[in-house]
Amino acid sequence: MIHFNHLTYTYPGSPRPVLADVTLDIAEGEFVLLAGPSGAGKSTLLRCLNGLVPHFTGGTLSGSVTVAGHDPVAEGPQVLSRVVGFIFQDPEAQFVVDRVEDEVAFALENAAIPPAEMRARIEQALDLVDLVPLRDRPLDTLSGGEKQRVAIAAALALRPRLLVLDEPTSQLDPQSAEEVLAALVRLNRDLGLTMVLAEHRLERILPHVHRLIYLPAPQIDGGMVEVLSGPPRQVLHQMDLTPPLVTLGKALGWEPLPLTVEEARHFTDRKSQIANRKSSSIIRNPQSTIHNPLLAVRSLHFSYDGEPALRDVTLTIGEGELVVLMGRNGSGKTTLLKCIVGLLCPQQGEIRLAGEPLAGRETADVCQNIGYLPQEPDALLFADTVAEELQVTLRNHGLVDHPPLDPTVLLERLGLSDLATSYPRDLSVGQRQRVALGAVTVTRPRLLLFDEPTRGMDYVAKRDLVHLLREWQAEGAGILLVTHDVEWAAQAADRVVMLRQGQAVADGSPSDVLAGSPLFAPQIARLFPGTGWLTVEDVVS
Amino acid sequence: MVDVRAWLLWALTVLVVASSTRNPFYVVLLLLVTMVVGATCAPVRGRRGALPSLRFAAVAVPMATLFNGLTAHLGDTVLLRLPAWLPLLGGPVTLEALAFGALNGLTLTTIFSGFAVFNQVTPVRDLVRLTPRAFHEAGVVLSIALTFVPQTTRSLARIREAQAVRGHRVRGLRDWLPIFIPLLVSGLERSMGLAEAMVARGYGAVSDRAQPLRTQAFLALGLFVLLGGWLAFLFLPSWKAVALGGMIVGVGIIVGVLRLAGRAVPRTVYRPYRWSRRDTLVVLGCGLVLAVILLPLPLVNRATLAYTPFPRLALPPFDPLVGLGLLGLVVPAVVATGKSRS
Repeated sequence: MIHFNHLTYTYPGSPRPVLADVTLDIAEGEFVLLAGPSGAGKSTLLRCLNGLVPHFTGGTLSGSVTVAGHDPVAEGPQVLSRVVGFIFQDPEAQFVVDRVEDEVAFALENAAIPPAEMRARIEQALDLVDLVPLRDRPLDTLSGGEKQRVAIAAALALRPRLLVLDEPTSQLDPQSAEEVLAALVRLNRDLGLTMVLAEHRLERILPHVHRLIYLPAPQIDGGMVEVLSGPPRQVLHQMDLTPPLVTLGKALGWEPLPLTVEEARHFTDRKSQIANRKSSSIIRNPQSTIHNPLLAVRSLHFSYDGEPALRDVTLTIGEGELVVLMGRNGSGKTTLLKCIVGLLCPQQGEIRLAGEPLAGRETADVCQNIGYLPQEPDALLFADTVAEELQVTLRNHGLVDHPPLDPTVLLERLGLSDLATSYPRDLSVGQRQRVALGAVTVTRPRLLLFDEPTRGMDYVAKRDLVHLLREWQAEGAGILLVTHDVEWAAQAADRVVMLRQGQAVADGSPSDVLAGSPLFAPQIARLFPGTGWLTVEDVVS
Repeated sequence: MVDVRAWLLWALTVLVVASSTRNPFYVVLLLLVTMVVGATCAPVRGRRGALPSLRFAAVAVPMATLFNGLTAHLGDTVLLRLPAWLPLLGGPVTLEALAFGALNGLTLTTIFSGFAVFNQVTPVRDLVRLTPRAFHEAGVVLSIALTFVPQTTRSLARIREAQAVRGHRVRGLRDWLPIFIPLLVSGLERSMGLAEAMVARGYGAVSDRAQPLRTQAFLALGLFVLLGGWLAFLFLPSWKAVALGGMIVGVGIIVGVLRLAGRAVPRTVYRPYRWSRRDTLVVLGCGLVLAVILLPLPLVNRATLAYTPFPRLALPPFDPLVGLGLLGLVVPAVVATGKSRS
């Protein structure tokens, strides 16, 4: 079905190739997961499948690609659109019109498909992804997962033989991601549609795929790196950073490697040494129990046009404490952060920072002491260089002459020293996130509020972020994180607060709150219920 | 659902009526009609009811009343006098001027309400389909541009918040730079992303070629004849008949060329327009209203339309036949409720 033959590709103006001598074969009907760190060339490889690379991007290419007998390089993306359906990261960025059915019809109308056939195809495409009840809805009233399914339906209507998906769930919350993945698994099982999907969070998708391809990060000297390809278990053995369950399996020598909690249970049932350990309950971060209160939120109420978003929320964060705020989409997490920094004005309740009430103060003023990282960090970046982004914040606060923190030291800590003169928007998602972090923390705020800081980050970037947060914590900063990423939250949190429909329904240690939650329990907690273990370190230490 | 062309006629009829009368009875009747149509025809999701119109009225009516009352010094019922040395404002403030101002505010509200209904009932997609098929690419561009507007508004809000949290305050013009640059760049990035997505979905695969030269030449000829006819009509009174003929020929050439060129665009339509009996009823309703307003019909007292509060405020006249005629605009609501019952 797909054949890469010694493919090498270099972006225009880049000194070294992003894909070097890639040779791969993918058979018809296979469900293929493409993994690898940011910047390894996953998106580039996917775009070679329908000719967007090099037709849309330019650059130099050698070697060859064949997709279902077509040559994307020679024929171009327009011709390949009949064979390859392509789904992008952000569903909203690919919509042309404003209604579900019309969006699915758009490509068919352009391809001049006769109306009778068009109706049949649209019907089938909507059916396949369970969108029939939503067919007349305007797109902006849909959830993220529903939007991504519309994009998939639009691609399916052209009857492709191959579906290519570039991190289709990276912008979605866990429930929406689950919906999209379920639809994809069904398409592969029922229709035998070949699928190639790039993804960072492997734990959810691994059990369903036939083949795992791992693209390692390109070497600095432009040397060759070996692309790993094969059945998931075989490739996982050779990868450094894997989902918690697989890491645990590797550490304890489980064979074959478990990909699901059910598979792992066979080993926990047999191995007595694990069973013996269950009795020893663990205490995480004992120092986190002694705190001076830094942020105090009391009986907070907020509603949008009479629709309550926060109801009687009370929350305290101590100095040096890291609290993770979790909950489904629309449970009021972002609203709470915005109320704290004064972007929204709560109707009732009180917020104090180190004893001082924040009510009535301007956001720009409050944010000298509170570092707030919004969900989309790109909205922050506009300066010409990374170093300049930090200077702009200092200038806004009138702190250029005596900065509370040396900007060069901060850049070094963020791992951005080498990029100080780069244009921020040219960087990878993880790097841009760190520039934005620098821009909001250069005033050395005492409280940090981060909204979904790990979106689009690979395992390495997420691990680095935990280290950075630990350093800030050690210096006495209080941290409040909003995240959907349960595995990452299990690593980072001292305390977890769960919001549901605007109310704080749980507040306690991660092992109490996360382990007992059916939706938010990490893999390790589900494997060892009742032990309080959340991460691989808890088990193997 | 009523056809977009019928809705267009409905909105234009509201505009014609609103600009033909200042009789408060008719204006209020028209406003109520637009509200009823909005309440019954707008899609349930996103239906905003009469609230936006009332909010508009709450601003427009007092503003227009105050402005007219202070600047128009006509009318017999003087309420107070402002000192004459005040430029523009100096002179008597009359009840009539205030009433006329309020009427203007009410008329503006009615036009606003009519177009708010039109906006809610016609999806962007259908409006874009009104562009001739020969200009299909332009139509798609327009459709994208229209969906870009709300997206850009959302990103503007996001960027303003993001800059505020790093201590940015908007005081002068220069302070807009940190907001404008990310807005521009994110807009460009979104455009590139969309272009890529459209190419990946085969857009431009079959119609990727320029209009033939012949089409362009005939289009230019049509425009030339039309323009020539119009100029002659304006400046050569004795050639009026010929000029009119020229204009008709020009329009004919343009329509013909567009139809022929449209046939050459290989493209199908998923939901073609189907003119239904409901659409005919809506058109007939609008026709009735336009006839009552514009034609000298027997028994109908059109003079009641031309009410003015000057020189002395009096109760406006009301012709029940005109009132009944205006109810022709309520047809979309009637066919909509009829449909939901069946």
